[in-house]
Amino acid sequence: MAAASTAGGSGGGGGGAGGFGAGDMEVEAYRRLFPLPFYERYLQNYVRPDARPLHRARDTSVALGPIASAHGSSSVKIGDTTMLAAVKLEVMTPSAEAPDEGSLAIEFHMPPICSPTVRPGRPADVAPVISKQLSDVITSSGMIDLKELSLISGKAAWTAYLDIYCLNSDGSLFDAALLSAIAAFSHLQIPLVSLNDDGRVIAVSGEQLENNSTIELVNKEKRKLSFQSIPFSLTCVLHNKYILADPTAEEESIMETFITVVLDSMGRLVSFYKPGGSVLVHSSTIKDCISLTKQRMEELQNILEDSTSAMEE
Amino acid sequence: MEYVDSLTGFRLDGRRPNDMRQIRGEIGVVAKADGSALFEMGNTKVIAAIYGPREVQNKGQQANNQALVRCEYSMANFSTGDRTRRPKGDRRSTEISLVIRQTMEACILTHLMPHSQVILIEFLVHILLKFFMYFLPKICFLQIDIFVQVLQADGGTRSACINAATLALADAGIPMRDIVTSCSAGYLSSTPLLDLNYIEDSAGGPDVTVGILAKTDKVTLLQMDAKLPMDIFENVMQLAIEGCKAIAHYIRGVLLENTKQLECRRGI
Repeated sequence: MAAASTAGGSGGGGGGAGGFGAGDMEVEAYRRLFPLPFYERYLQNYVRPDARPLHRARDTSVALGPIASAHGSSSVKIGDTTMLAAVKLEVMTPSAEAPDEGSLAIEFHMPPICSPTVRPGRPADVAPVISKQLSDVITSSGMIDLKELSLISGKAAWTAYLDIYCLNSDGSLFDAALLSAIAAFSHLQIPLVSLNDDGRVIAVSGEQLENNSTIELVNKEKRKLSFQSIPFSLTCVLHNKYILADPTAEEESIMETFITVVLDSMGRLVSFYKPGGSVLVHSSTIKDCISLTKQRMEELQNILEDSTSAMEE
Repeated sequence: MEYVDSLTGFRLDGRRPNDMRQIRGEIGVVAKADGSALFEMGNTKVIAAIYGPREVQNKGQQANNQALVRCEYSMANFSTGDRTRRPKGDRRSTEISLVIRQTMEACILTHLMPHSQVILIEFLVHILLKFFMYFLPKICFLQIDIFVQVLQADGGTRSACINAATLALADAGIPMRDIVTSCSAGYLSSTPLLDLNYIEDSAGGPDVTVGILAKTDKVTLLQMDAKLPMDIFENVMQLAIEGCKAIAHYIRGVLLENTKQLECRRGI
């Protein structure tokens, strides 16, 4: 039954559309039973089973605004990994220590649809890890100035709730999640608000504005966030002396050592994450990973700009 | 509030009482799943993913002579107007999960998938490994997992979930008796209305959700709340059944189109 569906089992290569001959069956079997030797045969030629060179990332696409009911949203696909991010803004009172600042709340979810290994009632192991990483990277990179989320000093400020859902998990989850978070924030349109008679801040819709021109808007000018420096990331997986950029889920499960590097748009290192793993690295490998991330950053910047201009058309 | 304008007969979103919202279905949106579908009814967007038939994970739940069907329904935090932090096991989600599971169970031919012998692949060629023969007969019990995620909610999420699950089950190639489609209808301002959106749904009038097996015209799901006189109820239910049939027609079209594309890619 699985063979007939469009989803298929493993990623590229192998049986595919041509039908199963005896030769194909053995390749697939070898791949499942002895994954590491299977991969090593490809790595010796500096290529991967899906014909990618070791340092190339998969095709990435960004779409802005798939969720109309959210204030900002984006959908990102890196290869087959799909993320859906949405930002919703709510008004709250700022804390006493920071009366001029709003706040961010970032959550990452992996619902059971994304992978056969995630069971209902038992959240994926990696979900809270990525959630924390995302939170840390976004706040520490200084991408969003919390002062921009302030409405009335000491009385009212925005809390931005960012929810990211993984719809299909095929490796590089953190990269896709970070990219979708950035895209959602760049798409964010802050709603117009005004003070009602009780002194509370309420949202004002476009029609109310046309009907009653005496409504005083609190934030007429400030509709979009401006970014100081945008973080971009790349996850690489290591095996012996090979560095594979942007691993698929299969590669991640076979070669367990991975490094995630986050750089910001000014080329500074925001975060470096190597959580153990059997492969120990020299500083030369670290430098290689950082330079790979730099290249990837340029690609991602272009992709983001293309999607923003596509939205505006 | 006037849900149906007395002069023109239009509803709040400009539809006529008998008009359904625009529907759109797409197959194969989650590559990792055995079958998946995205279904939209107006602004309600739902993704369904099917994993299965695969081995039962909770041995205590298996039934002897048929496959087990499990379902989980969850709503994204940003799916409704206010962002609400929904705990996974809240009552509404559990109830809808149960409803969807029982509706789909009615149409899946579970008796065709009793315990089966699963033989792992015999490995032959490689010289070093000629001595390894993986031959392991196993009797396992099978389950089918249906996961539904609501991305945007604007009324009729239950129906959209069932329609998405039908498409996804077809994509996964799971044998079914017939396709199940579902649609809701209500009665506001003395008019039966088809396919309520969120505003009409929360108006406090009756909301009838119907799920039918399209070809045989049999009703698998029928839920209603609020009060309704019997004769009006029959009208509203009939209207909902008409809506279901229209959706079934659309779903058949989507599946046919998908099959044609598959044939094309295989070079037939």
